[in-house]
Amino acid sequence: MTNQTVIKVGSTATGFWGKFKTVLARRTEGRAIVLFAIIATFVTVSQPLVFTAYQVTLGRIALIGLVALGLTAVILMGELDLSVASTLAVSGVIAVTVANQTNMAIGVLAALAAGVVVSLINAFFVAIVGINSFIATLGMLFALRGMAFVISDEAPVKLQNTDLGIAFGQPLLGPLTPRILIFFLIFIAIQIFVSRVKAGREFLAVGGNRQAAYDAGIPVKRRIFTGFIISGVVAAIAGIINAVERTSADPTSGSTVLLASFAAAIIGGNYLKGGKGSIVGTLIGAASLGMLQVALTISGVQIPIQEIFIGGILLIAVITDPSSLRAVWGSISTTFQGIKNSLAK
Amino acid sequence: MAKETFTEAMAVAKDPQDSKVTKPKTSFIGFIADKGIFVFTGILVLTAVLFVDGFASLQNVTDVFHRAAPIGIVALGMTFVVITGNYLDLSVVAQAAAAGVILIAVSNAYNLIIAFAVAFVVAIIFALVNGIAVGYFKANAVIVTLATTYIGLGLLRLLSGGSQVFGPPDGPIATFGTSKLGPFPYSAVVLIAVTLILTFVLTRTNFGFMIRSFGVNSSSTRLAGTNTGLIVIGAFMVTSMAAMFAGFVLAAFSNTAVSNMATGFDFQALAAIIVGGTSVFGGKGSVPRTLLGVVFVSILSNVLVLVQVSYGFQQVAIGSLIVLAVTVDALGRRVSKK
Repeated sequence: MTNQTVIKVGSTATGFWGKFKTVLARRTEGRAIVLFAIIATFVTVSQPLVFTAYQVTLGRIALIGLVALGLTAVILMGELDLSVASTLAVSGVIAVTVANQTNMAIGVLAALAAGVVVSLINAFFVAIVGINSFIATLGMLFALRGMAFVISDEAPVKLQNTDLGIAFGQPLLGPLTPRILIFFLIFIAIQIFVSRVKAGREFLAVGGNRQAAYDAGIPVKRRIFTGFIISGVVAAIAGIINAVERTSADPTSGSTVLLASFAAAIIGGNYLKGGKGSIVGTLIGAASLGMLQVALTISGVQIPIQEIFIGGILLIAVITDPSSLRAVWGSISTTFQGIKNSLAK
Repeated sequence: MAKETFTEAMAVAKDPQDSKVTKPKTSFIGFIADKGIFVFTGILVLTAVLFVDGFASLQNVTDVFHRAAPIGIVALGMTFVVITGNYLDLSVVAQAAAAGVILIAVSNAYNLIIAFAVAFVVAIIFALVNGIAVGYFKANAVIVTLATTYIGLGLLRLLSGGSQVFGPPDGPIATFGTSKLGPFPYSAVVLIAVTLILTFVLTRTNFGFMIRSFGVNSSSTRLAGTNTGLIVIGAFMVTSMAAMFAGFVLAAFSNTAVSNMATGFDFQALAAIIVGGTSVFGGKGSVPRTLLGVVFVSILSNVLVLVQVSYGFQQVAIGSLIVLAVTVDALGRRVSKK
């Protein structure tokens, strides 16, 4: 024998089953797919109506998932954006207020501009000043909620052009309403940006190891700005859609959206410290949550029980994370080692 | 054995004679970052006393403390979780509401002692679930406590039917909510008592040393032979106990309780903690600082109400305050590094 050693790098699994197992263990979406499969099976057996009335289900998924898509862009870089909830409220209020005075197109533009401004402020504090994004966006969460109240004069603003609101709720392309179409367009756009465009792929590098990304010549600060702008603009779009569909903008809206979109992103397997995750994962997470909610609602399950379901799934998703399981296994084995040592003494 | 040596090591490290670390020269921004809250509270109080009508009356001051009490108590307890570097405990919203509803509903059905016992057990269950998931599974505290909030509020709404519960008008809870000790309402007394107890726990006990040590450097604390999982559980336990008392106080205010009565407590408490100068990166902070943060935020909103600023602008002010506080903290840290 020669002294040649063979180091096997990466997966040694072969065949369909081996690859399948590798995907489940490695890919961040693995657990999300398992959860999705379980929920889909459960739904098919108990409430097939969820699939026949797919318009309702897709609408629900779009409602939960839209903000989550933008949020994922920020989470991939290991940052958080809590301000999306208030951005949603502010942009809705701005869109309707401006649209009532001029026309809808200008209102939409003004709301999108507001989303960009908000995200620039967020990114400035995170990237330039160097504040923890959790806290900087927490401040914005309060401040923007206040702004929404100030602009709307503390009451919901009615959209005068109600025809547009009614038209917006109607199917536009085949059976799909504009909300669902916009959701899937944004999903495709962000997915292509993050997985195919160089700037988007660098998000993962920034999240994985910021110093290494910086040393490799990636403009880290510019990427952080881009990420926050994506999440801010997507939240603004969600705010506009909500306002137009309901023909009124409520300054208190969006507080439940924050929690639901976080849940979708986490269930989708996105790693909160950044560097791991995908937009597809978030879509799967949102789809699981949406299907579950619609199925439970059709079965006549009360809202509190639905909340318990979502909370339970979120808790299971976070503690079955491979790194979580490794951590708990490590502390169990350390404890046993300690007991063994003290017995040996 | 291990615990004693640990405390001794901490005591030695605290002794300035033995410490080889020279104190960095303080600049203006460093001074503001460290002691700013004291200066700003002083300025705010002075301005309010001089220029705002109706602020400097005993009635108004006790009222400020009375209203600040529930969020303040939550913030004091949550300081422990923040110092361990685990951001916050979102589930205080569910915990405080659960404690309030249990206090009134169970004492109506059985008696006060059983109500306290049930609320205590519920608080311990919350703390164990949060603490084990964060401490042993190393899961992100924000997500874990978000999940327990969902579960907790869902269970609470399910069991209470989502409706308001009322206590008997002359029962002990109603009496507690309306009586005063001297000029101070009982709620303010509880706030001060919790501050004293938690300050003692954080600065004078073994557990407090370990919390702070874990916040500064979790790996070295683990390598020093501490069971870090238990530390995290302990921090969540303190928060849960504080949230329970906050729920009691809140329920006693109006002698009613409902499942959504503590909405917003999570972020408002965190805001007070950050304004007080406790660092969200863990390790740096104290209980009296949080009390000062609570006082500052409540005096600010009281003043804004007195000068008739709308609710929207109050929120804008509090949000800007948070960003300002952490900006100063970040700049101060940058200065002290140089």
